[in-house]
Amino acid sequence: MQESAWGWLIITYLFLAGAGSGAFLAAVACDLLAPDWSKALAKAGSLVSGPLVAIGTLCLVLDLEAGLWEPWRQIYLANNLSSMIAWGVIVLSIFIPIALLYAAALNEIGFIGKFANKYVRPLEIVGSLFALGTATYTGVLIAVVNGVPFWNTPLMPVLFLASAISTGLAAAMIVAAIIDVATIKTLSNFALGHVIFLSVEALVLMLLVFMSLTRSTEAAYSANLLISGLLSPYFWGLVVILGIVVPFFLSVIEYLEYGEMPKALVVGADILVLIGGMSLRALIVFSGTPPQII
Amino acid sequence: MKKPGMSRRKFLIGSAVGGASVVASSYMNFEAWAASEKPVEDVKVTPTLCDGCGNWCAINVYTKGGRIWKAEGIPIAGINHGRVCAKGHALLHEVYNKDRVKSPLKRVGPNKFEPISWEQAYKEIGERLQTIREKYGPESFFLVQYPEGNAGLTNRFINALGSQNSFSHASTCFLPRNIGWWITTGNAKPEQDIEHTRFGLFIGRNLGAGLQLRQLSDMSKAKDRGAKFVVVDPRFSEIAAFAHQWIRIRPGADLALMLALANVIITENLYQKDFVEKYTEGFDEWAEKVKEYTPEWAEQRTDVQKDVIRKLAHDLAEAAPRAFVHRGYHGAMGTQYKNSFQLVRTIGCVNGLLGTFNQRGGMFFAPKVQLGKLDPQKHPAPTVPEGPMVDGSGDPERYPLTPVGLGLTHAIPELAIQGKLKAGFVYHNNPLRTCPNPARVIEGYRKLDLLVSFDYVLSETATLSHYILPESYYLERDDVVHTHLSYQSKQVSIRQAVVKPLYDTKPMVVILNELSQHLGIGEYFNWTLEEYNQAALAPLGVTLDRLKKEGVIDLGGKWEPGEPHFSTASGKLEFVSSILKDNNMPAMPDWEEVLVHPDPKDPHSFRLVHGKQAHLTHTRSINQKYLKEISQLNDMTKVWIHPARAIALGIKDGECMTISNAVGKGRARAMVTEGIHKDCVFLPSGYGVFSRNLRTAFGYGISYNDFLPTYFEPMLGHCMSNEIIVRVEKTVT
Amino acid sequence: MPRYGMAIDTTKCIGCHSCRVACQNQNGLDYKETFNWIKNRERGVYPSFDKEYIPLQCNHCENAPCQRVCPTGATFTSKEGVVLVNPNTCVGCKYCMEACPYKMRVVDHQLGIVEKCRFCIELVRAGGTPACVSTCPTQVRIFGDLNDPNSEISKFIAQTGALPLRPDLGTSPKIFYKRS
Repeated sequence: MQESAWGWLIITYLFLAGAGSGAFLAAVACDLLAPDWSKALAKAGSLVSGPLVAIGTLCLVLDLEAGLWEPWRQIYLANNLSSMIAWGVIVLSIFIPIALLYAAALNEIGFIGKFANKYVRPLEIVGSLFALGTATYTGVLIAVVNGVPFWNTPLMPVLFLASAISTGLAAAMIVAAIIDVATIKTLSNFALGHVIFLSVEALVLMLLVFMSLTRSTEAAYSANLLISGLLSPYFWGLVVILGIVVPFFLSVIEYLEYGEMPKALVVGADILVLIGGMSLRALIVFSGTPPQII
Repeated sequence: MKKPGMSRRKFLIGSAVGGASVVASSYMNFEAWAASEKPVEDVKVTPTLCDGCGNWCAINVYTKGGRIWKAEGIPIAGINHGRVCAKGHALLHEVYNKDRVKSPLKRVGPNKFEPISWEQAYKEIGERLQTIREKYGPESFFLVQYPEGNAGLTNRFINALGSQNSFSHASTCFLPRNIGWWITTGNAKPEQDIEHTRFGLFIGRNLGAGLQLRQLSDMSKAKDRGAKFVVVDPRFSEIAAFAHQWIRIRPGADLALMLALANVIITENLYQKDFVEKYTEGFDEWAEKVKEYTPEWAEQRTDVQKDVIRKLAHDLAEAAPRAFVHRGYHGAMGTQYKNSFQLVRTIGCVNGLLGTFNQRGGMFFAPKVQLGKLDPQKHPAPTVPEGPMVDGSGDPERYPLTPVGLGLTHAIPELAIQGKLKAGFVYHNNPLRTCPNPARVIEGYRKLDLLVSFDYVLSETATLSHYILPESYYLERDDVVHTHLSYQSKQVSIRQAVVKPLYDTKPMVVILNELSQHLGIGEYFNWTLEEYNQAALAPLGVTLDRLKKEGVIDLGGKWEPGEPHFSTASGKLEFVSSILKDNNMPAMPDWEEVLVHPDPKDPHSFRLVHGKQAHLTHTRSINQKYLKEISQLNDMTKVWIHPARAIALGIKDGECMTISNAVGKGRARAMVTEGIHKDCVFLPSGYGVFSRNLRTAFGYGISYNDFLPTYFEPMLGHCMSNEIIVRVEKTVT
Repeated sequence: MPRYGMAIDTTKCIGCHSCRVACQNQNGLDYKETFNWIKNRERGVYPSFDKEYIPLQCNHCENAPCQRVCPTGATFTSKEGVVLVNPNTCVGCKYCMEACPYKMRVVDHQLGIVEKCRFCIELVRAGGTPACVSTCPTQVRIFGDLNDPNSEISKFIAQTGALPLRPDLGTSPKIFYKRS
């Protein structure tokens, strides 16, 4: 009777896969929708996307035991297509190369970059589909687990997708700032993205918690753990205030003040979004409560 | 991610290692793995006797590739009916415990030991014993043991040395129970035909933890047949969970309840008149006596409603004679209260009123097997020294009813301090942990000029010994022939080696044989175990070879209901006992107060009661990892406390409490439960190991002995282990 | 083909844990690893106070969530309806542990795989009974064929109305509890 089999490695995976696929979507959006001044962000997003997802996947592999000690066992991972993990393996193994190829294409890295540059549009279309798949999949992975009623809701993939886009955007913006601090000014355009997706995330999170309170005793127990129980300081502090409310208002100001906000605050808002995203996943995993069976 | 343990991995995966074969195996029929997992190594089965507790259940032990694997119960064994408990399974692993003593040891400093040869150990023990003999005489020698199985050999040894000081754990366990039944019925351990009973009453007896597998198995069958079981206990014991009714009695008041039951049964004319007339002695006198012990009177003392008492009496009487009040063990009827002896007497007498003896579904006397003896011409037996033991056991002036050979172990420390005991041998016992007030016990044992332990680990007592002569673990040795499995028919059984000794250890019989040669008593041990066992089996028409092959042999002689025979002085069940009268003791069961009471005005004052847990035996089992894990996983070292009392002290479930009195102090976490009487806290026994050489158990939990003053009950001298008052408070950190 | 199941009479359980260690030995498990648990629950106030010991192990669900989510297909149901794990293909992803609503699966750190009660299928196929059944002092457990209406277990379930734990979870467990 082990209460939770999954720990920090899985949580890190859930976070990194989300952030990585979100960064891809952000990069594609910049590349397609925005004029030249946003190219920096597209490049940064594409650069960060593949590696993040790959590191996340590495966490997933590190969490294995027999499959880690005897890696050839991993070929069985797609044996049973009624398992979400099997689909995850397929999605990830397609998405990671596409993301890396896209990064090479946008940044014109070496010979492969030059070659792939000719197929940027197809890469963007197919990649976006798989990025959406990867981001959603992290939510579906735990949403289909009927052993934990709190997770077992269609809201979970929506929440994870919203959070993936916010965190992906944040990751892309931080990397863009690292590459060239001057771009920060132009990044303020994208603060609107944060405003939108943080709002969506907040809304879905609110729905999840409220609906869980009445869904089943176990789900209510989990929700109560978050809002008033043992985990509540982390939930309110890390997820709600630091992860959503503060960056939301910073982003609103940033958007309105276009380029006038101190650089530290701009990057700070993005870091907060990342902390919130990671905390959100950790708390959802840790608050998972199995059904009362006796 | 843990580092893979290779042994089992290799074994199971075996051929699967290697890319190609693995790829292939993923597509093979999944059913095949179960088949492929069938043990490839050779499996051997050896019948033997378990050593997990005093029951010594008959088990078949399986080895796989020469390593102990698992045990199964032997179905015909009268005492366990094919069942094995957690201890029986887990203690198999003990043979591989790293804490084992691997050769004879000599203590060369505090907790410092030096391996020595057997020869050297024997020689030095012989020399030291000779010096002590010259100075203090053989009456200063003593033996402490768990008197079972090999007791015939060890008693022979101490007697040959010229001492009758053979102590057992009786005075901290069962003494009043045995003497009480013996006085009342002439048999110290009557059995009950639980399988066919209609109604069973358990007074403080918790079969669910002080396990007796046959009795449990019979209870299960009886329950299916509609039998009813009632448990009287200050706490909701494990067997209460099985029973139909739990009566939460004030601790130490069981005697009042039983007297009131006798009162109702007699005054309402519910007793078995034929039986009482034909087979009992002194009914009229006792009937007169119990008139005053009405249910109303008992309600005051027991905290049990008078209607509940009446109903219980009616239920018992209605089911009689297919009913019983259980013969008990340590709980309530053992060495727990000042009035325990009177309780046993009363329970014997109530069974008499109900006419349950030798009845289907009632009490009966198990058939006994008479084993043969060594030829006294060739193998002379030592003369048993006459007179009482040094502690007063068997002394008409002191403890006339306490048998020589059981004795009062908890008297040894005082006797050592007084200089009356100088040299001791400890076998299958650990007095430092199982006797009251360990500080005093240690002080006493330190005074000894020579202490020799025959132990397989460095228990508390072994750690203090001058020499440790390691007995082979029970799975590594052959023992003498046993008859203890006899339950409803006569059975003979044997313990035998399943694997060869892992270390330089020897079976007890070999140690005694060799040691005796160095102590000048070699003539009493001039035979081998084989000869001893063959002589034992000779009258039974069973060969040793057959017994070793089958492990247990049923000799027939099945018990059948019928006329009861009591081996008392009068040949009847004695309400009034001539022996007690002759010894100026209360001849009839009568009310007697307990020794101490918690202060009703002090919210911190409690009686401390204790009891076993099913997976532990005394203190030797908690050093076993499989067993300790059960305690840890289920948080079983908690001390039980009633919610009302806990609230008054501001203690919440799981919080740490400090328990203290003049003898000791300790900490334990609280289990707040309705399942305990308000007057007491319950501390599970089996914890509190303080020998650093038992590395798994050391420092885990506390023991009731840490709080128990050294008492001697006036009649039998037992330790009265529930006469403890403690102060309980929330631990301030 | 039989369809194996178990009936558990909690009114007879004394929480002695014999089943746990018997199972550990039979299956060669480390002391920390177990396929068996005994939980207890206290109810009521004296004189109607009661404490129930509830033995728990894999329910061998007909509709096993652990099997559905197992990516490698290592978890499978045998022809006798026993849910088993193929130790050669399990990678140790622990998804099954999250999926099991009864939380009856454990990591075997020696093998690096997820394990669980196997109804001692090798003993059963050889004509025996699972170790936890044969060792139980109070005969809490009845093991047998649910397809055979005359088996002891089928009769027990019919007579006592024994039910699985949380049947509403929809996994169709094959362990039936008589709880009062």
